[in-house]
Amino acid sequence: MSTTNTQTNSLPTPLTVKELHTENPRWCTGCGDFGIVMGVKRFMVDKQINPSMTVNVSGIGCSGRAPNYINTYGVHGIHGRPITLALGLALARPDLNVFVHSGDGDALSIGGNHFIHGVNKNFKCVFMLYDNELYALTKSQTSPTTRKGHPTNTQPKGTYLEPLNAVRLALGIGASFVASTADWIPDHLTSTLEAAYAHKGFAFVHISQRCPHFDPNNFDHKTTNWFAFLKHPQGIAPDKRIADKTELVEHDPHNLENAFKLACDSKRYFGLFYRDENKLSYDEILRSQVKAAEPKPRSKILDHYKLE
Amino acid sequence: MTTETRHVTRFELLMDAGFGAQKAGDILVGAFAKMGKFVYIEPMIPAEISPPPRTKPALSGVVIRLADFDITNIGNDTDLILAAHEVVLDRRLDDEETNFNCQVILDMGDKTVNEESYEKICKRVTKLGYSLYPFNIDPEVEAIVKKIGGKGKNLYYLGMLSCIYNMPNDFLLEEIKKTFGKKLKEEVMDQNITLFMHGYNYAKQNIPLSYDVPSKADRTDKEKILIDGNTSLGMGIIDAGVKLFSGYPITPASSIMHTLAKEFPSYGGMVHQAEDEIAAIGTALGSYYGGVPAVTCTSGPGLSLKQEFLGYAAVAEIPLIIVDVQRSGPSTGMPTKTEQSDLPAAIFGCHGDNAKVVISVANVIDCFYAPQMARYIAEKLRLPVFIMSDFQTANSYKVIDKPQVNEITNIDDIPDFVFERFHINKLSEPIEMVRASQVNPGTPGGMRRITGLNTDKSGSVNYFAGTNHRSHEIRNEKIHHIRRALRVPEMFGPPQAEILVVGWGSTRGAIEEAMQNCEKEGLSAAGMHFRIVYPLPLMLKDIFSKYKKVFTVELAYGDELKPAPLAMLLRNETLVDVRPMISRATGRPIRPRNIKDKIKEFLGK
Repeated sequence: MSTTNTQTNSLPTPLTVKELHTENPRWCTGCGDFGIVMGVKRFMVDKQINPSMTVNVSGIGCSGRAPNYINTYGVHGIHGRPITLALGLALARPDLNVFVHSGDGDALSIGGNHFIHGVNKNFKCVFMLYDNELYALTKSQTSPTTRKGHPTNTQPKGTYLEPLNAVRLALGIGASFVASTADWIPDHLTSTLEAAYAHKGFAFVHISQRCPHFDPNNFDHKTTNWFAFLKHPQGIAPDKRIADKTELVEHDPHNLENAFKLACDSKRYFGLFYRDENKLSYDEILRSQVKAAEPKPRSKILDHYKLE
Repeated sequence: MTTETRHVTRFELLMDAGFGAQKAGDILVGAFAKMGKFVYIEPMIPAEISPPPRTKPALSGVVIRLADFDITNIGNDTDLILAAHEVVLDRRLDDEETNFNCQVILDMGDKTVNEESYEKICKRVTKLGYSLYPFNIDPEVEAIVKKIGGKGKNLYYLGMLSCIYNMPNDFLLEEIKKTFGKKLKEEVMDQNITLFMHGYNYAKQNIPLSYDVPSKADRTDKEKILIDGNTSLGMGIIDAGVKLFSGYPITPASSIMHTLAKEFPSYGGMVHQAEDEIAAIGTALGSYYGGVPAVTCTSGPGLSLKQEFLGYAAVAEIPLIIVDVQRSGPSTGMPTKTEQSDLPAAIFGCHGDNAKVVISVANVIDCFYAPQMARYIAEKLRLPVFIMSDFQTANSYKVIDKPQVNEITNIDDIPDFVFERFHINKLSEPIEMVRASQVNPGTPGGMRRITGLNTDKSGSVNYFAGTNHRSHEIRNEKIHHIRRALRVPEMFGPPQAEILVVGWGSTRGAIEEAMQNCEKEGLSAAGMHFRIVYPLPLMLKDIFSKYKKVFTVELAYGDELKPAPLAMLLRNETLVDVRPMISRATGRPIRPRNIKDKIKEFLGK
């Protein structure tokens, strides 16, 4: 088995959205996942990213289907474990672009351990958390991010606990890139993915995702007074279409303390919370170990055990 | 005192954990081997790091088998024990692995700590009919031990054993210097040497035992190496051209990761210590999907955790090499004891219909070549392939002719002798895949998605009845390819016999030796051993039908109402009434004599 890594990211002919199409997604009408996948396609076209050199990796859930609907290489893995598969690709094939698609149940519940360690390892990938605040593909159960009091099939009298705050969690475990966006603000979503792609490390992108089938009220995409955009020359530009109707909050993405404050606020913020360009990447570290090691001929691997 | 010549003998050094019994054993074994003797060593390791001294769980030691002919296993019974105190001796006597005329040499130094206990255990030794040689280390010598932190007694005992087994002391001194030379300060080194010499001289003057095992090993023509199973497997992973090791610490598999952590980068390989067992296999799969050969290693509990990904690998058609160094289960079981009970979990473990291949290793040479065999099958079939080792094989080491290094880059480089070693032919083409395209990411225009969902030939998700059944047929046909390629397994003993004894993995040595002894005694029995244990060759029923009785010997639990795992598998595959002959879950290796005794019993002799 030999690896084909002679290609670069440059394309012989310009990439179009149409070329990234595979088949019509099997998601419900109005599902936020359509918007996210379109955002990925738009970002790939904007940046002219070579689909042959790209792997979309996912776990299980509605979000897990995303790689099947983008014409790149793809790994639709098992529940909660896309980060582990993505890391294997990042270690073995640094020439590839690795995009991870994971849901709130996938990343924060069954895959919580991998999330912690993926963030901490800071390996190069764009990680998209599709947060619709419940389990949908299994038909409406409480997830770690379901808002307190919201009735589900497993907690019919209302979800018991306060939701887990994914942005605060990512900041708390030392993420080097934390951004937040939403499925219904396409320009902002695309700019966020572009910023994440430019980051050398684990780029965590939280995406508020609508789930009209099981929870039509989780995000009100028609009003703009319940959220604000973070604004900074080094951040992500607020969405042009709605910026004038939305509160804009100045925030320097290098200010971790303020990032925590914003993450803990009752208001939702879209934009770049935090970026640390200097955090080391685990994949780079492992590769540098190989580079730094004194090469030895394989023909002599048993000589150390010789009886002399 | 006359020196008695022995063709084969076995002895033990028993101490508390952390006091260097294994180090002393290593030095002695290296010296024996260099003198041209055949040697096999099995360490006894507690599952804890440093259990309280002078307690039974603290037992740590080495069992050394020495012979003037090539030996394949740790043998039957112990002829001589040197014990640091009465508690470890008592503990070891419980295993009932001592010869009827065993010589017991007991350090009486702790007698003042518990006089009653010493008396009781000395009585036990005499009652068993063993000869007891109590001794005390001279107070001056004890003072040296104290001076170097209380940890030099292993050298004293090493001196005693070197004298008893007729080894020249200057030769041993060289070995000690080679072993500790760079690590110890000169002063400490001198004290260690003094301790060794004191032990040597004490035994010479006071212990009336002297054995000589003739030096018959051919030391001239081929280079020899001394290596244990896990190290050999680690080196085999490098030789097989694997580039990523992904694992999580677990006894007794961890030492493979330790070896590779030191060595792999020099050969262009990476060692990834994952956050858990599931992550470890996931990352290996990610790498192999990227076209870069990867391996994950584990033991029982980790195997349970990896099951979902194993099923995924088969459905997504990602090659994978997985090593299971078996320990005593279920659950945490006995982490530092040997067993072969993971076989069903390896073959049938994950949910749904399974497709995987299980290779086993019988000795340290198999450990070196198994990764090549596994890589060949994994990449040809795009399935997970197991390498099943066990605690015994992983930790025991012996002197072998240095195996040929193959420096594999891709699977076409694997030489024929590796296939012969595992009793399989090269696979015939074509081998159909569920998905028509299997190109690696990065192949221009080859974009394809893999999934654990059922797909059609194009790779598109599909829940139609016919399509799903097609996928199953194709995955199973991959396994049938192996069935058809398998040759007659390795056989021991005469071509015709009444009884056939069958085993797999680490029991090979005991079966081979038992068959040699049966032949000598005219017992009508033959042996069979599987290296590839799943699937099994198609001619098995024909072979079995030539014998009156077919028995298995297994390091796994079985009884009259429940066949042990291999017996269960063979019954299922052949409809022959295969029963376990030995199927005890003691955590101790199978002894050749037990096999021979059972055969005698069944033959009514």
